[in-house]
Amino acid sequence: MATDTRREERLWGPLEWAESRLHLGPFIAALLHVRIPRDAKTFYLGGITLFLFVIQVITGTLLALYYSPTPGSAYESVLAITSDVEFGWLIRSIHHWAANLMIISLVLHMLRIFLQAAYKFPRELTWIVGGGMFGITILFGFTGYLLPWDQRAYWATTVGTEIAGAVPLIGQPLLLLLRGGPDVTEATLSRFFGIHVLVLPLMLAGLTALHLLFVHQQGLANPKRPEPRPGRPGPDLTTEKTKPFFPDYVLDELIAWYAVMAAIVILASLFPAGLEAKADPLLTPEHIKPEWYFLGIYELLKYVPRDVGIIGPMVLVGIIILLPLLDRNQEVRPRRRPIALACAFVLLVGLGYLTILGGR
Amino acid sequence: MRTQRLALFAGPVVLAGMLVLVVAAAASAGAPAQDPAEISWALNVPQATPTPEIPLESAPPVPPPIAHPGDASSTGCVDCHAKVDKKQEAISEDWRSSIHAKEGVGCADCHGGDPRADQITVGMAQANGYLGVPSRAETVGLCGGCHANAERMRPYQVATDQYSKYFSSVHGQRLLTADDSRVAICIDCHGSHAVKPASDPTADVYPLNIPNLCASCHADADTMQPYGIPTDQFDIYAQSVHGKQLLEEQDLRAPNCASCHGSHAAKPPRSDEVVDVCGKCHTATQALYEESAHALVPAVGPKCWTCHGTHDVSEPTEELFLHEGGVPDYLCATCHSPVDQSLRLEIDQFEDPADRRCDTCHHERSQIFAQVEAIAGAIGDAKTAYDIALSRIGEAAALGMITADADVAAAEAKTGLIRARAAVHTTKLASISELTDETIEKANDAEAIANGKLDESIFRRQAAVVVIAIIILNVLGLMGVRRRLHAKD
Repeated sequence: MATDTRREERLWGPLEWAESRLHLGPFIAALLHVRIPRDAKTFYLGGITLFLFVIQVITGTLLALYYSPTPGSAYESVLAITSDVEFGWLIRSIHHWAANLMIISLVLHMLRIFLQAAYKFPRELTWIVGGGMFGITILFGFTGYLLPWDQRAYWATTVGTEIAGAVPLIGQPLLLLLRGGPDVTEATLSRFFGIHVLVLPLMLAGLTALHLLFVHQQGLANPKRPEPRPGRPGPDLTTEKTKPFFPDYVLDELIAWYAVMAAIVILASLFPAGLEAKADPLLTPEHIKPEWYFLGIYELLKYVPRDVGIIGPMVLVGIIILLPLLDRNQEVRPRRRPIALACAFVLLVGLGYLTILGGR
Repeated sequence: MRTQRLALFAGPVVLAGMLVLVVAAAASAGAPAQDPAEISWALNVPQATPTPEIPLESAPPVPPPIAHPGDASSTGCVDCHAKVDKKQEAISEDWRSSIHAKEGVGCADCHGGDPRADQITVGMAQANGYLGVPSRAETVGLCGGCHANAERMRPYQVATDQYSKYFSSVHGQRLLTADDSRVAICIDCHGSHAVKPASDPTADVYPLNIPNLCASCHADADTMQPYGIPTDQFDIYAQSVHGKQLLEEQDLRAPNCASCHGSHAAKPPRSDEVVDVCGKCHTATQALYEESAHALVPAVGPKCWTCHGTHDVSEPTEELFLHEGGVPDYLCATCHSPVDQSLRLEIDQFEDPADRRCDTCHHERSQIFAQVEAIAGAIGDAKTAYDIALSRIGEAAALGMITADADVAAAEAKTGLIRARAAVHTTKLASISELTDETIEKANDAEAIANGKLDESIFRRQAAVVVIAIIILNVLGLMGVRRRLHAKD
């Protein structure tokens, strides 16, 4: 991104005080005062995902103040958070809905990047890092799902870890690693909690910083033309229409965040996070279902051999993450990428259909 | 038909009824309604003398087991019979899969002969003790030869009284007294060659399979025709609360035919035995019933079947108390003997579930009716309070509220309601009212908690509206800033 030097502002007193000591002005200016293509259409999805991650960190920290990660007390502590702690229901419901919305916004963000071919040169690494972030977000959902220790949580984790245990060659060690033993027990809850509140947030924060650094360095992609490659003739960038990132884009992003916040408030107040009966390893529910974003794979396993149902999605995720290295076509306009779009369409329709089937 | 009977018995029965009422009123005056001393009036009711039991024919002596050479390793019989034809091959296979083959009981133990021989002329020679296919009457003795032998059965820890029990059953008695070989014998339930232990889920005598096993004869009109007994018991049972629990829910705790009629000693329980039969499972209810006025007339008074039926036991509800929309014109003979007007409740008078109501006997003009009505009212009020609480909890849960604390209170109310319903068997209003009051109190607590949740839900929605309004104002402000910014550009 080109640094915008046209804006010079007087700082507010306390900021002036801090600036005279830290000299962060040029750094922050380099971050904020950049210009982005007017044709760039982000739909603010990356920023929304970031906003939701921040909400998760704040609400997750508050929940951790009351949550007790042992089978004997986890359920009771979640019940107390939801029923007794002042506004505990709100914090938990926001955490619940923001988690779901984060996965939705992340998927839509990836879809937008794919449709606009923004993963192509020179943004391959940005996409790959983003793929890692997607994986971590899914792991967030998987590990967080067990923490309430109710029937749904317990049995969804039992099924989920069994799927992991069916991975060829490494399945059994992976299952033992995830569960901390042959069954879902206290050891599983402890490690899922540790992974959920320590390992994954640090990893996601690190990858987010890296992702934003890459975005800052490369700027936003123009969906109407490919990026000029070194040593090859490219379009004249001096004629490209741009707009300032700050305050124009940031202001729009802020409005989008407000909209997301309103959606969370409505969802949390109309559909607060629930709680089923306490986990009972001796009482298998009639219907066990994983979280909605795993339903597609769960359903797929009913129709294809187990190895195919497990290896297939893994290979698919691998292809998606390594897409920039596999897709050598330089074209960015959707109309000229019919095969890629058809593949994405088939994948989305297939996954959507399986998810609906699994949800029945 | 009812009207015709009424015409025959009306005069004497009305007189007898009036006499009973006068005696009852005199005996009960001035004492609390639930006092056992007061309900002693029931003893003053003329009671019919139960029909005397016909003495049982004794079981014949157990014949000794068939002596034969060879042992369990002698397989000469099956080695040849498996090759004779398909039928013989199937019989051999049945035996091989049986518990008998596993435990060393071979062909010669039932058929005699020499199992060591590989020649038909030797193995099946009468000189070598070959008996052939035993008759149906002989078969019971053959089985009893081993199964009534305590020493022989010791390793398996199985009962050895089946033989004597069988001959005490309707089946065994018919076999003995009428030489009726059509009645069920051991092999009809256990199989002849493919005998399986009762714990084997594929065995016909496995508890889940017993209703179908009994029905294979008892639901067959041709088989039952000579005995003149109904053939609809299985269909009725299958629709009952017991049948559904056993056949649909596969719940082994639910009673099958043998649970009430006995297996080897199969026989319909006598009217005065029914309380003990039902009480085998419904222990607590039986204890409560024993405290009741009904139990004071054990020979002829109301039993479990009077209100709950026999094969068609359904989920008991408050409907069992009183007829809706008025009591039909019941005959005196419904509860009294047409001969001497003594109290006598007969099963066939209560075959129709619609007749199984308290006010069938305790009609509106009877002295006890007020107590029946009060008991029905107390249980009805408790049920209503409990239903309202459940409904409010359901509403709160549907709005996404956590209702665990209300559920706990509702569970306590449910326990109270169950205890109150069970206490109905005591017929004591005071005991029942105490429990229903407790139930109503708990149900009201549950309802109050649920109402609190509903109020909280409304508050959340109202607060959400305020927050959304603030968000909209903020967005409008930001859009204003945005417009000014673009205006400058």
